[in-house]
Amino acid sequence: MIRIAWNNTTLHASPGDTVAAALYRHGITTIASTRKLHEPMGYSGSYVGGVLARVDGRPNVRLDQQPVREGMRVESQNRWPGASCDLLSLARFLPPRWVHGGFEHGRFTPRRGRAYLLWERLLAHLAGVGRPPPRLPSASERPARKLCVDVLVVGGGPAGQRAANDLARSGRTVALVSRGATLGRYAQAMGIAPAALHGDVTVLSGMELCGSYRCGRLMIAAPVDPERGAVAIEAGRLVLATGKSSMPPMVRNSHLPGVMDAHAAVLLGHFHAVPAGTAVAVVGTGAETMVARRLARLGSGIAYCGDVSGLARIHGHSRVTGIDIGNRRIRCDAVVHAGAWRSDPALAFQARAEGVLQVSDVMAADADISSVGFCHEPDQDIHVPDRMDPALRICPCMDVTAGELMGLIDRAVTDPEILKRLTSCGMGPCQGFPCWESMLALLAKRTGQPVGRLVRPSHRPPRRALTVAQAAGLCDVVEPL
Amino acid sequence: MTDRALPKSASVVIVGGGMQGLSCAVNLALLGIRDIVVLDAGYWQGGASGRNGCLIRPGFGGHEWTRLFELSWREWTTLSRKLGHNVMFTERGYTMIAETGPSADMLRNASRLHREYGITSEILTPRQLSGVLPAINQACVTAALHQPRGGMAPHHSVMKGYLHACRKKGIDVRYRTAMTGFDMHDRSVRGVYVKDHLIRCDTVVIAAGPQSPGLARQAQAEIDGYMMRIEAMALEPMRPLIGPALALIDSLAYFHQTARGEVVGGTEVPETPQENLRADVPAMAAMARVYTRLFPQLADIRILRQWAGLLHISSDLAPLLGQHPRVRDLWFSAGWSYGFAGAPGAGLLMAKAIARGKVDEIMRPFALDRFEKGNPIEEAGVVMIKN
Repeated sequence: MIRIAWNNTTLHASPGDTVAAALYRHGITTIASTRKLHEPMGYSGSYVGGVLARVDGRPNVRLDQQPVREGMRVESQNRWPGASCDLLSLARFLPPRWVHGGFEHGRFTPRRGRAYLLWERLLAHLAGVGRPPPRLPSASERPARKLCVDVLVVGGGPAGQRAANDLARSGRTVALVSRGATLGRYAQAMGIAPAALHGDVTVLSGMELCGSYRCGRLMIAAPVDPERGAVAIEAGRLVLATGKSSMPPMVRNSHLPGVMDAHAAVLLGHFHAVPAGTAVAVVGTGAETMVARRLARLGSGIAYCGDVSGLARIHGHSRVTGIDIGNRRIRCDAVVHAGAWRSDPALAFQARAEGVLQVSDVMAADADISSVGFCHEPDQDIHVPDRMDPALRICPCMDVTAGELMGLIDRAVTDPEILKRLTSCGMGPCQGFPCWESMLALLAKRTGQPVGRLVRPSHRPPRRALTVAQAAGLCDVVEPL
Repeated sequence: MTDRALPKSASVVIVGGGMQGLSCAVNLALLGIRDIVVLDAGYWQGGASGRNGCLIRPGFGGHEWTRLFELSWREWTTLSRKLGHNVMFTERGYTMIAETGPSADMLRNASRLHREYGITSEILTPRQLSGVLPAINQACVTAALHQPRGGMAPHHSVMKGYLHACRKKGIDVRYRTAMTGFDMHDRSVRGVYVKDHLIRCDTVVIAAGPQSPGLARQAQAEIDGYMMRIEAMALEPMRPLIGPALALIDSLAYFHQTARGEVVGGTEVPETPQENLRADVPAMAAMARVYTRLFPQLADIRILRQWAGLLHISSDLAPLLGQHPRVRDLWFSAGWSYGFAGAPGAGLLMAKAIARGKVDEIMRPFALDRFEKGNPIEEAGVVMIKN
């Protein structure tokens, strides 16, 4: 057994646990809170903000990626005066309109002088989330390395492995990047036997491909472990096998602890023997029956299984206590969603230089990107209820509600780039996925346009996958153009 | 943004709805000019006005820049009142750091110059520096020049303020409305086209950032300079660590911590000028190296996002302000590299010159024909790469 400190208590964890899994096992579902209103958030698989905490003095560590270590000190952030008591959560009682407009709005603020400086300090305290790490006399860069291959495959699931094997057999040099420490973790958790990988494929595991540059010719892989250096990969071709993620349902309280995507719930049950709940509601777009069956085998009790469009509301204050299906109330302690399934568009967006105002040049046409597996299939539409609940959080980490977005859309602000700038939607730790998918679905519904015609805001690298010291190490391996 | 029909005539058409264009428009309206139209091909805040580093300082290294930016800084201090909207300008200070001997000498000279113009500016002792920036690694610093009344303002709130003021003053601002050509008579502009629609006007102002040289060519009015990409990045937010804005003369880096906790900054690397908005790795890596060296506490902080912006860079890095020497009624506020800090002042000067026909002494050195007349502006206090 391993002992870790969570705020002021000591918990026991099993070797191989992530901190998030260990906390969930002990019934601790609230890890973090939203930035402005201090609504509780936890391990969801959707929102990064829900799993950020301070670990041994280092702020904003992702607890779903952090393995437990003996004596580790984990503290929740963004609480005042202390971890056990958060007076800032009184902000929840503020009228929602007061906190519209991101943090950079001038309402109620003194215009200048000393009063403004004091206000700004208060604002910075409220907005800053984590405390800076302790002072060091000096810091060292994490040296990076460079890898040149014919093809880079992103995603270590069965589709990625198959693509890498086929390419390696045809004589290409291939590298495969996988976020997990081992390949195909979700497939394994769903009971699918792993395939053998061709011996010539270079595997970069425990790494996130955090950006594609120069039309998909240069990619940066950032190790999840901040002690390791990044890898700059030059490749002639990019193959995306990144699968799809389940989008949180567009109903009130979908940000609450206990709401999880199918991947998160299945991984928790399979690798950490932690059931998602004793009474779990599983909703989805077709895969819910299969996921519910798997969750039941992994120890969860199933309270409901049905289509996501039937879900009207999630209930709860600090965590999920029930759902409404039509007018029927069902008690449950977790909601697992398995669809709508959508691909993370960031890497393809960056490689193809999509978006508004991307001054085109010759290189953009050269991008050689393809997708395989689930990622290659069309994205599913997100179900948007006819009567939207204004309290639904579209971007929970930044406290952007459907009400705030609808207020702007109804005043003819329908440009996604401007909605982003006026609300800070998607500017938090997830950097736009899944928040912009929900925002665009809402915008499409509200304006009667097909979602595919909307131009998405720019998906910018490296979305907090790379530390400053890891990026500094890249100076020596990537030449300027 | 609007479905109303474009007007058939205007007194002034401003091409470019960024800070320069809107500042010029607001100041023209305040001088009594009516029927001002602003056209912008992109979306609101889509250009450099929504991508810059947000830093503001009054003092530079030479007389011309210092006079212009001191005037602009004074405008900043009253801008919220002028626009009727809080632009959130904060005088958290602006510290320039030298890491070599020659740069330290430059800062000492600059400090003397600043005092000549009545700008509060001082060379900090190591002790004072640790008071202003407790987290800085002083081993890297050879001299620090602090302008306590400089600072920053979030560009979103500033652009909100300008647009708010334009709307209140009846200025017709159109985004996603590209100007497609000029109506020219005898080397003088008489109007602009939006596709087939002609807007007749007395004066055209080009304030289109990187697109300015291209638009100028459409009116057979060559201007100095070229398009260049620069990059910036934001770190994940944390509670306050860095108080003032910072500029590093030798590392060519500038950054600050925003009111919402993100450390935002950028640097430049020698590269072939790029004409696209795609971010690249070397500038991010170079910036990260600066952070690791100067603020070791930032080493394990994560990078949220990086982005690129496009500038129009002139041969001497100084802005081009005034009427074109050979095309009448065609004005420019272009060539900006410190456009965010300079816009409130430049808008005022441009408006006075257009409305009253009198070019201010502060604006005169920035005339477009300074290169052919052999008077480029020398300035050592800008943090910009020279290609």
